[in-house]
Amino acid sequence: MKKEGKKKIWSEYQKEIADDHFFYVRSCIRQSFFPGSEQFFLNFMRNVLGKDVYENPSHTTCTGIGYHSDIVPFATLMTVVARHFALMKESGYKNIAISCVTSFGIYTEIIETWKHFPEELEKTREYLYKATGREFDIPENMAHTSDIIYKFRNEIAALAKNLLINKKTGEPLNIVEHIGCHYSKMFPKHGVGGAEFPNVLGGMIEAWGGKVVDYPERRHCCGFGFRQYLVQANRGYSLSNTAKKFSSMKPFKADLVLTNCPGCTMFMDKWQYTIKEMEGIVYGEEGESIPVLTYEELAGLVMGYNPWDLGVQYHMVQSEPLLRKLGIAYDPDNKFKTKDGRQMPVPENLINV
Amino acid sequence: MFSMDGQIVIVGGGAAGMESAGQLARSGYHVTLIEKETITGGHVRNWYHLFPDRRDSREVIKYFDDLINHKNITLLTGLKVEGIDKHGMSFIVNTNSGTEIKADAVILSTGFDLFKSERKEEYGYGIYDNVITSADLEVMFRKGEIKLHNGVIPGKIGIIHCVGSRDEKVGNLYCSKLCCVTAVKQAMEIKEILENARVFCFYMDIRMGGALYEELYRESQEKYGINYIRGKVSEVSVNIDNKLVIKAEDTLVGRPLKMELDMLVLMAGMEMSESSKSISESAGLATGENRFFSPADHHFGSNKGNVEGVFYAGTCTAPMNITETISHARAVVSDVIGYMNNGDR
Amino acid sequence: MRKMQIYHELLMQDIRFIEGLKACMNCGVCTAICPAAEFYDYDPRKIVDLVQSEDNDEIEKLLKSETIWYCGECMSCKTRCPRGNTPAFVVMALRTLSQKLGFFTESEKGRQQFAIKRSVGENIFKYGYCVASYAVSPENHPEQGPIWEYILENSHDVYERLGGQINELGAGPLRKIPEDAKEELKKIFDVTGGTDFFKNIEDHSKRKAEEMGLQFDDEGIDNEYFIEVFTANNKKHTH
Repeated sequence: MKKEGKKKIWSEYQKEIADDHFFYVRSCIRQSFFPGSEQFFLNFMRNVLGKDVYENPSHTTCTGIGYHSDIVPFATLMTVVARHFALMKESGYKNIAISCVTSFGIYTEIIETWKHFPEELEKTREYLYKATGREFDIPENMAHTSDIIYKFRNEIAALAKNLLINKKTGEPLNIVEHIGCHYSKMFPKHGVGGAEFPNVLGGMIEAWGGKVVDYPERRHCCGFGFRQYLVQANRGYSLSNTAKKFSSMKPFKADLVLTNCPGCTMFMDKWQYTIKEMEGIVYGEEGESIPVLTYEELAGLVMGYNPWDLGVQYHMVQSEPLLRKLGIAYDPDNKFKTKDGRQMPVPENLINV
Repeated sequence: MFSMDGQIVIVGGGAAGMESAGQLARSGYHVTLIEKETITGGHVRNWYHLFPDRRDSREVIKYFDDLINHKNITLLTGLKVEGIDKHGMSFIVNTNSGTEIKADAVILSTGFDLFKSERKEEYGYGIYDNVITSADLEVMFRKGEIKLHNGVIPGKIGIIHCVGSRDEKVGNLYCSKLCCVTAVKQAMEIKEILENARVFCFYMDIRMGGALYEELYRESQEKYGINYIRGKVSEVSVNIDNKLVIKAEDTLVGRPLKMELDMLVLMAGMEMSESSKSISESAGLATGENRFFSPADHHFGSNKGNVEGVFYAGTCTAPMNITETISHARAVVSDVIGYMNNGDR
Repeated sequence: MRKMQIYHELLMQDIRFIEGLKACMNCGVCTAICPAAEFYDYDPRKIVDLVQSEDNDEIEKLLKSETIWYCGECMSCKTRCPRGNTPAFVVMALRTLSQKLGFFTESEKGRQQFAIKRSVGENIFKYGYCVASYAVSPENHPEQGPIWEYILENSHDVYERLGGQINELGAGPLRKIPEDAKEELKKIFDVTGGTDFFKNIEDHSKRKAEEMGLQFDDEGIDNEYFIEVFTANNKKHTH
């Protein structure tokens, strides 16, 4: 494996990422399943870096999941997104920070469509005005929130309390990076590093001391498949694709899977549980499963935040093996406590405990 | 600025340049042949055996070397032409050393560049150890041995057709014409060195458009047992044993396939030479969507372009094999002689 | 006499189809890396090749088939196609047309669109989210594991510690989407044909439920037809 070859590709895919004054749009799935992640992002940007990140409470779903399960027509999708651009214009923002990869995908798809088919842009203006009386501008900069954390990865490294090194062996941790399909597969130039060797997560991992693992199914979809998961009868598709990735990954002995897409994080985590229940198979070493984290959760661990304040305990695969490798001191009693310190019930049948 | 006795300048000392120089010299014209490398011969020097008859390229190089060993030819090597300026009916050829050469007619035989295969990112050239190009393989043939990066002899070798050609993603819509026959030839040569190796060619079409090419394809199947799979390789990756893993569809069966290979050979296509860019810009020479020089006429004007007195020979106009290049170079001689003898020019 | 529909012409009215199909040379790179092609009896190259033939009868069969519902819309095909096509866009155009024409009820997978409309679709109007924690029931999602049921049972405490404010107005994760925003969303659906599209799914599904003799409610996910399309799998979808 020659690094210079990859570096050459990365230099071709330099992406412009704004550095302040963001209009933040949340992810349906991340809000529900990994709310600690979005909170870390806001806290880090606002309070650590002193940036202006604005959230408009009138922002709704982008309907991307509905679009990609083919119940929401394209014209509707474009107009819903145009409404968000109108909210941006109203609040005086030109840079958008997108938390979800499906959203990021449809935002870029829509912008590109308007470039190739200007009549669609005009139609959307008409629709939005007719429905809401609003008008919009196209944002100057569109970044996924993983792009932004990538941009500030060195700032995070400078504040690092726990680099991604195995404290026992002194070796960098083996970290699998999993990029959401809709991040760069549609428009490689909209992804840091392009579509074949994307570097948005790899750059973070290396800046924080870890080692990126390449494996044959690296670029393969996690299997969300929208309707292939949403409908119970189809879930075999979703499960099989994740199982395939983990089988391919297993010989490389990953300590962690890092993802930048809400669905991917959910599936890479939950399907390990399901496969263990159904087949008794685990993909980590010594009977363990591999923790799957969001980049905000990882950044938080690197910066020394309490893991339980980041929400890593609310995954199915528990992170204790990773925390031990990182040498992070954690308090098992603090794990399932409320904000003001009251004990909550302790869930059973979690993985890696 | 100084003028030579010879008034025809030929830019590029590869097959086309050497052939046209030799034929013009023998017709009595003085020719200055300029080559940017320190030796002439162009790409022919880098091939080991040539299709269709598997003859040694050194014989062809000797033919060219003898051809330009003529009193009417002034050979300048290690000199790169940056541009040509037309002043009335004559030209000034500008070089990177500052030397300016006067000419009454210019033949551009600047040739082609091999497609830089690292641009086809999903094949991992320059990243994965055992992914090589057809050019890299020829070097191995000349040494008489085929080895992996770690010195081990490969057992299973894949060949990918159409790398950098017929591909919107890398910006080359055209077919490079010669890669299919190169793949067939190289597959056979691999088997001659490694008798027990299994060779798989991954193709979209098998384009055997030259004399004896189709016969070579048949021979490769009958005598050498080369396997042909109709499906373009979609991606290359590496497993824990450092074996290459490719994904393709066997389109004749209609199923996706995954295969482990020891080595992968990319049939890199032909592109307009990078060094021609400054020349074509300086003189306003028209190039096509494929970036090669545009011919004045596709049928009877392929050695001429849009600037009078500037002529083209060889692969700077389109992918072509050595036989065609030599024919094309002989044809430009007749155009140039006609031009030089035309009182109106 | 019913005027014959030329499906290719109808497809050409869909921007995604125009973007997605120039001309296919059957190289197979799409099928090579398609997650659906690996596990389902599915081949995106064949779909594109069939559609570009403009054979009306074959396209009608396709619109009524299981085949067009196997794609997971990952877009891996778009990255690789040397002709600049996107089989997934072609599939999306076929899916939209299949629903418009009511053909989607002819296949087991196609009928599932009703389930998606009743869950994700209704969530959009009810909550302003496609997916919201309070709409993901552990019974319908056992694969989420015990942690999901736990999170729901202790949602207030869980989300509070992590900075959420479940179902309250103002900024923050899992905030309540204000009524006027939801109204604008509904108006957008009305004006752009989204509401009509939803109604179309409902009407055809109701017709199919009657045909199949299954109980159908005008709302909700507790009816026989919903449960049938949500769970039925004839196990004939793989190689």
